[in-house]
Amino acid sequence: MIKVTDLYKEYQLNKKQQKEFNTTETTVVPVNKISFECQPGRIFSLLGPNGAGKTTTLRMISTMIKPSSGSINVCGLDAVEQEGEVRKKIGFLTGSTGLYERLTTDEMIKYFADLNDVPAEKFEERKNYYYDLLDMHDFAKKRTGQLSTGMRQKVSIVRTMIHDPEVVVFDEPTSGLDVISAENIIKLIRNCKEQGKTVIFSSHIMTEVDLLCDDLAIINKGNLVYKGSMDEFRSQMQAETLTAEFIRIVNQA
Amino acid sequence: MNKIITIAKKEFLDTFRDKRTLVRMVMIPLLAFPLILYVITTLQSALSEKEAAKVLEIGYVNWENELGDELISNMSKDTLYDFIEYSDTASLRLDVESDTINLGLFFDEYFDQSYKADTAAHYHLYMRAADYEEKERFDILIQAESSRLLNERLATVDKGPEFSTPLKERLDNRSNQQEVIGKYAGGILPYIFIAFLFMGCMLPAIDLFAGEKERGTIETLLTSPVNRLQILLGKMVVIVAMGLISAIVALVGLYAAIQLMDIPAEIMSIVNDILSLQLITTLLLLLLPLAIFFAGVMIPVSVYARSFKEAQSILTPLNIVMVLPAMVGFIPGIELTFTTAFIPIVNVVLATKSIVAGTPDFLLIAITFFTLVALSAVAVAISIKQFGSESNVLRR
Repeated sequence: MIKVTDLYKEYQLNKKQQKEFNTTETTVVPVNKISFECQPGRIFSLLGPNGAGKTTTLRMISTMIKPSSGSINVCGLDAVEQEGEVRKKIGFLTGSTGLYERLTTDEMIKYFADLNDVPAEKFEERKNYYYDLLDMHDFAKKRTGQLSTGMRQKVSIVRTMIHDPEVVVFDEPTSGLDVISAENIIKLIRNCKEQGKTVIFSSHIMTEVDLLCDDLAIINKGNLVYKGSMDEFRSQMQAETLTAEFIRIVNQA
Repeated sequence: MNKIITIAKKEFLDTFRDKRTLVRMVMIPLLAFPLILYVITTLQSALSEKEAAKVLEIGYVNWENELGDELISNMSKDTLYDFIEYSDTASLRLDVESDTINLGLFFDEYFDQSYKADTAAHYHLYMRAADYEEKERFDILIQAESSRLLNERLATVDKGPEFSTPLKERLDNRSNQQEVIGKYAGGILPYIFIAFLFMGCMLPAIDLFAGEKERGTIETLLTSPVNRLQILLGKMVVIVAMGLISAIVALVGLYAAIQLMDIPAEIMSIVNDILSLQLITTLLLLLLPLAIFFAGVMIPVSVYARSFKEAQSILTPLNIVMVLPAMVGFIPGIELTFTTAFIPIVNVVLATKSIVAGTPDFLLIAITFFTLVALSAVAVAISIKQFGSESNVLRR
């Protein structure tokens, strides 16, 4: 479970950054006191246009960056005070595969298993499970730099899941991927739900959200502008399509 | 500790599989010196042989001096010299300037009279300074004639050759050969070490931080249950080790190059003595904190840079700033003192130079070591601060 309460993030801008962002403001607030909850066995989608604060929120949940104020609770653990413990519970996947190109698939998976203290017998068991599931045995000994985008995405999935995380965070996981690679991600997200994991993913593709999510939150310019279940969202729709409704809510805010 | 080892092992594997890194850090240091020395010595000997076999064309104007005729006649016996008579000095000078002939020689109008009056008989020589080795060849001939004439003069006053040498030095050099070699060649060794140490650290430092940011792998690493200090230390171990490997490989390359050169056995035995276990141990002791210092300087830059290219563009000029003090070893007269022992890089160079010369002062070497340790601690602290800053680590 993830519980986000009054989450706030502020960055100080130096003169160079002010010039870069063409602003006279001395601070920027990518996330402004947002609150939401993600339940185990449900898929939570964080929606918003580019620059809305989705990635910053997910990075704070994943302990990559610290919030300026507010709290994040992951599986009963405080993400600031107990960041090391929280990381053991989390798997993080982005659209960019983020692989070490000179390592083989096996080496890559083993490296992240070791960083996550996965015992040897569990490692073999989980590795084989995912290799079978994603048909990866053929390129287990190949360097990831020599793999196709789809193969790389599979390696990235196993790297994320090898320590059997309770919470899986997907930051725009299908962005830049072809249809087949995106399908692998969608299968994984469903698989996580079936296993009772807490899943949160950010996206701005409404068809993907429609296909997968149980709950959603829409953020725009750092502010939470909608929160509820997917069923509620559909029933309260004022526009004709989900995408049109999403745009309407964002513009209204 | 296990996590640091896991990260370091992975980074070693990754770095050793990078052909670009291997070429720059192992192949170049290993082959640079044998290749450079081979090319230089081969070229030098080929040019010397060619120069020695070349017939030197020397134009001359004599003004009908008897002694001039005699000298030309004697010197012409050597077939590697061709003396061509000119009627005037103007055309002689022009031909030297246009490089038609190698040298222009003319004897003074009063050449005979001066010699007969037991004074110096003057001759003039036109040359081009760019062709100094041609003058040196001529000097050998004319000096032989000058000695012959001196002996003839001394014979007329019944004096031996030592009559013209009222003072003669008997030099007793009390410094040993190692000291001499250390003084003149001792500067090159630390320079090589420091230059390759820096280069060896640079590429992994860029790749392991800026490269990781560029590839997008840093995010997955930061969400693993490893704290930033462990990540930093795991990567730093590899940067330092690669720097040391590069420096040691350069030393091996230099040693191999020396072996290839035609060096007399006596000098080679001194070189072997210089490359003692004591020198190598002390050098490694000094280079370890220096490598940590270099890594500590490079990591904050690499952490801040958005890409491999940006980090490289900042660190490459820094190379000059860091390696420039290493050239102090080439300046004679500067030694390791209570002042220079506190100047980083300079102190390593001078300490090494003193060990090579066989005149180490271990108190000053200890000061050098602790200065470097303190400096590397500061650099590591800055690295930790920079790597802890989320705006730097995730800067895109």
